[in-house]
Amino acid sequence: MRVVRLILSFLVGAVFIYAGVLKTLDPLRFASDISNYAMISWPLGVRVAFFLPWLEIICGLALIFQRLFAGAVALTAVMIVAFLFATIWARAHGIDVSCGCFGTVSSNLTLTWHLVLNLSLLLACGALWWLQRRRVR
Amino acid sequence: MRSPVLRQALLLVGLAFLPAIGQALFFRGNPGLSSRPPDPFEVSLAQEKSWGATVLWVDARPEEEYEKGHIPGALSLNEDDWNGLLPAVLAAWGPERKIVVYCSRKSCNASHGVAERLRNEAGLKNVYVLPGGWEEWEEDASR
Repeated sequence: MRVVRLILSFLVGAVFIYAGVLKTLDPLRFASDISNYAMISWPLGVRVAFFLPWLEIICGLALIFQRLFAGAVALTAVMIVAFLFATIWARAHGIDVSCGCFGTVSSNLTLTWHLVLNLSLLLACGALWWLQRRRVR
Repeated sequence: MRSPVLRQALLLVGLAFLPAIGQALFFRGNPGLSSRPPDPFEVSLAQEKSWGATVLWVDARPEEEYEKGHIPGALSLNEDDWNGLLPAVLAAWGPERKIVVYCSRKSCNASHGVAERLRNEAGLKNVYVLPGGWEEWEEDASR
């Protein structure tokens, strides 16, 4: 079980670090992607664009190095749920956005793949949470 | 604070704030912080009309939206079936033609994504975006 936990932590952590690093390279482009969801104003979107990628990187590192682990799993799951909600909300309102999850790389990611990726990550977070609880007991 | 999970999560949020503030300070003074920077490839309908028949419209909305209605002569090209739809666009394109990509409305960015791919991957020049999209075109046509 320890090996499964380590592998899952590494995979989810690596995805979040990759996504975060790509977005920190061009925060204004990420702000533009956020703005396209038409949920928040541009100035607020810019603030989120500066903060969120670093949160992804910090959580990714925490998962890989097994530090502040439970908090990192919880925050990662919350972020994934927020991304899923934003995507579904945008589609429900007829806004055909590219997700912006991986900067320019994700502009080719279709909605289906975006949902599959996020649900897989959420499932992995659920498994990590369960394994963590089991370990504590 | 009783919950270790909440305490850890707040600590991680705090840690993320430090580099974020540093990066924001680095970008201080950038005009893009207060308002969205203009896209040099965006064109207005008036501009598009002045180009006349050389314009090749590309509809970046999902297939079902395209089927419901589109700008006359527009070809469908979206991320969902890029490889299947691209040959028709390439066949219709010529060096003298200007491509204008559109999606649903101002808030969508599928048109920007498709235009970027046409420029970077297909190597086409003169690829523009109508920011107001189908909504703007329909409003203009109904006047």
